[in-house]
Amino acid sequence: MLTSQETDVVIRLVGESGEGTVSLGDLTVQMLVAMGLEIYTYQTFPAEIKGGTVMYQIRAKSSAILSQGDYADIVVALNAEGFGLYGAGLREDGILLYDSDSYTPEAVPGRTDYALPMSTFARAAKDAVRHDVEPEQLKRLPAPKNIVGLGALLSLLNAPMQPAEEHIRTLFGRKGDTIVRMNLDALHSGAEHIAEQIGSRALPRIHAIERKGDRVTVNGNQMLAMGAIAGGLRFYAGYPITPATEIMEFLAKELPAFGGALIQAEDEIAALAMAIGASFGGKKAMTATSGPGFSLMVEEINLAGQAEIPVVVVDVQRGGASTGMPTKTSQGDLNLALYGVHNEQARIVLAASSVEDCFWTAVEAFNLAEAYQCPVILLSDQSVATLKCTIPPPDPSRVRTIDRLTPSASDQPYSRYEKTESGISPMSVPGMPNCSYVSTGIEHDEAGDPGYTPEIASTMKSKRFRKLETLREERSRDYVRLWGEPGCADVGIIAFGSTEGVLREATERARAQGLKVAHLHLRMLNPLPAKQVEEFAARCKTILVPELNYTGQLAGWLRVNTDIDFHSYCKDEGIPFIPNEIYEQIVALSSRRPALI
Amino acid sequence: MATELAQFAPKDYKSNLKPIWCAGCGDFGVLSALFKAMSICNFDPDNTVIVAGIGCSSRLPGFAKTYGFHGVHGRALPFATGIKTARPDLNVIVVGGDGDGYSIGGGHFPHCARRNPDITYLVMDNMTYGLTKGQVSPTSVIPRASLAAKLDSKRWKTTPYGMMEAPINPIAQAIAWDVSFIARGFSYKPNHLTDLIVAGLKHKGFALLDILSPCPTFNQDQTDDYLKDHTYDIPDDYDPTDRKQAFALSLDTDRFPLGIVYRNEGKPSLMDEVEFVQNRLAQNGPSSVEALLNRFR
Repeated sequence: MLTSQETDVVIRLVGESGEGTVSLGDLTVQMLVAMGLEIYTYQTFPAEIKGGTVMYQIRAKSSAILSQGDYADIVVALNAEGFGLYGAGLREDGILLYDSDSYTPEAVPGRTDYALPMSTFARAAKDAVRHDVEPEQLKRLPAPKNIVGLGALLSLLNAPMQPAEEHIRTLFGRKGDTIVRMNLDALHSGAEHIAEQIGSRALPRIHAIERKGDRVTVNGNQMLAMGAIAGGLRFYAGYPITPATEIMEFLAKELPAFGGALIQAEDEIAALAMAIGASFGGKKAMTATSGPGFSLMVEEINLAGQAEIPVVVVDVQRGGASTGMPTKTSQGDLNLALYGVHNEQARIVLAASSVEDCFWTAVEAFNLAEAYQCPVILLSDQSVATLKCTIPPPDPSRVRTIDRLTPSASDQPYSRYEKTESGISPMSVPGMPNCSYVSTGIEHDEAGDPGYTPEIASTMKSKRFRKLETLREERSRDYVRLWGEPGCADVGIIAFGSTEGVLREATERARAQGLKVAHLHLRMLNPLPAKQVEEFAARCKTILVPELNYTGQLAGWLRVNTDIDFHSYCKDEGIPFIPNEIYEQIVALSSRRPALI
Repeated sequence: MATELAQFAPKDYKSNLKPIWCAGCGDFGVLSALFKAMSICNFDPDNTVIVAGIGCSSRLPGFAKTYGFHGVHGRALPFATGIKTARPDLNVIVVGGDGDGYSIGGGHFPHCARRNPDITYLVMDNMTYGLTKGQVSPTSVIPRASLAAKLDSKRWKTTPYGMMEAPINPIAQAIAWDVSFIARGFSYKPNHLTDLIVAGLKHKGFALLDILSPCPTFNQDQTDDYLKDHTYDIPDDYDPTDRKQAFALSLDTDRFPLGIVYRNEGKPSLMDEVEFVQNRLAQNGPSSVEALLNRFR
């Protein structure tokens, strides 16, 4: 329960792409951040080139936020279509703020509606300054519809106007006093119109607080790109694909300043080939893609495993099979990450579980690729990639980077694929004297020379797979996170990837109701920390395995690698879980009844 | 020809692996010309990478004592582009066949031309798929099905009734894409070929050498004797910087002109562009992850 001074509000903005929905969302986020609140957004974009409906959900809270929340307290609907598509996310006693110039929804008992003639007010604000700007400028000047909406929304939230006023002065100051005045007029007209309608009606209130600690407002793609640089990335090649493109765009701008290089390749096959080539040359290299591109990379992931070349492949998973739903989310590429090769090949699979985790998982991906000389597949997904939230910034001084083992002077005559107990052999880079070899996907002996004998086949394959066993033994513990009940639990949740926050929130909600719930979150899928999974399962009466795909890919992987029994819960609708649906699953599986508070 | 004293002799590039090629394979001539050319350019084997795809000719890196990269079928150019961009200090040579470069890898070719990385690409063009034992390749010249006098199902395994496609013209394509150095060699003219490879290695940018390299086992049509009769040296007064003239020359498909067909020395290389941007940003001082995070505070 929130105390009177605490805030936990979910606001959902819906409207036509290009009519200011996203900028209204961004402005609202900035205002809420300025009030010291924590922010967690969730966006779905239309796949259309122009137009289509955008949904921008903002959760604002006075303490750390784990998920996008359940139902919206307020929906701001800029058109009927958007409300039709996303209005169902509004709680029954919620508030609807709608653009009455665009449409009028049917009244529904329990819901409070606020009409706002956004276009009329925006035009009025523009009209008021028409004599003070040049005719040419007037023609190009957009009516400040989103600012009208911002004023109205801030008024609904009982938020102070002053940060918005300051922001407008900064944002438009360069364009002159008249434009500032127009936007301030728009802000106030929206705010006053709503204030008049509020009367004595109850509203969700937000309260400014003094922020404790440093924050950055970022999304998962940005954090992943920064983590990659921190992890030592110096060569990137990629091909544009939704929703991974932002990683390449970020790195294109920043990587050269770190002495790195980036190439936009002609396709994903070329992209990964370039990255593997760069790593063979001694630079830490990465590519990022999404499902269709990831499919094209499969052959070269196999090569990187066979030739033992470190490389990081990021798959920002998107919804649906084939072209599917590029702007929606999914955890549907786990099988491809785990199994996607001909024959069999050693590779490491990691999954980022939150925006902050995108940074650290990227660092880890480079360290593991270098340490174990193999491809590392880093699974992200559309929801974590594009959601913006406030997080404590990672401390770059805490980053520890690992470089591949290179031959020493005593390693002569040099054998690139020397048999070792760990499976890891010193890797030379071109330029090192007396250490040349041919890096090859063809089966080879310890020197790297082609060889097809049964002895070579078995020795070299087991050498490559032995590296994964070494990793499993040495590092498994570091790649699971435990939440909830520390001891015996009625319900245990095993999951991976971006669902961590939602599952933690559902777990906490259930525990607050007296249920015994524990949660094991996997950060590494291959090698699977099987021992940790089995130990966890042993202290839970029932296990729930929730994941965002249709066939239960994690469930399948657990069946292959462990002896545990569990209930699989799959959702494959292109959208994340909400805490409530997981909470309901927990209640259904629990032998106890929740204490209804 | 080679007047300068080479620190590295051709034999210094030879590995202890014996080539797996058939007796009489044109690729032997290319291997030997490449070793001579590297010696003339005095490439340090430890500072040189030979990159290949998959195919008979793509096994070449194993026969050299340089660093080697034997990747997947058709992707040698992007692998090499990655290596050279990451390590501009290395000599990067790409080798492969016509199937590897012009068929499965054909999509990378124009983009490599656009980027113009400082690499040299030797295509050993035998006009057939040798490693899979005699299917048509994109440069195969055999009768069209509709033009064949009779049904002959013996000679070409996947086109027993004649070809359904016309062959490509790699030289004309390369000129269209503005590959900045284009030459055609013949493995049975070893000294001429060595000179061409040296010119390619010295070229700053993407150099393509399409080398007629007959396959005695699976191509009974374009044999060494046939090619000797169907090639001629480009005349001395030919100006390879004239792109229109180069096009005209490349369209002569009855006989193959040998020599440097086209060169565009003014085209900036990918390495030039990368280095320029790095240097310009370096003037602002080093960047840091902390500075990146600050943009989001």
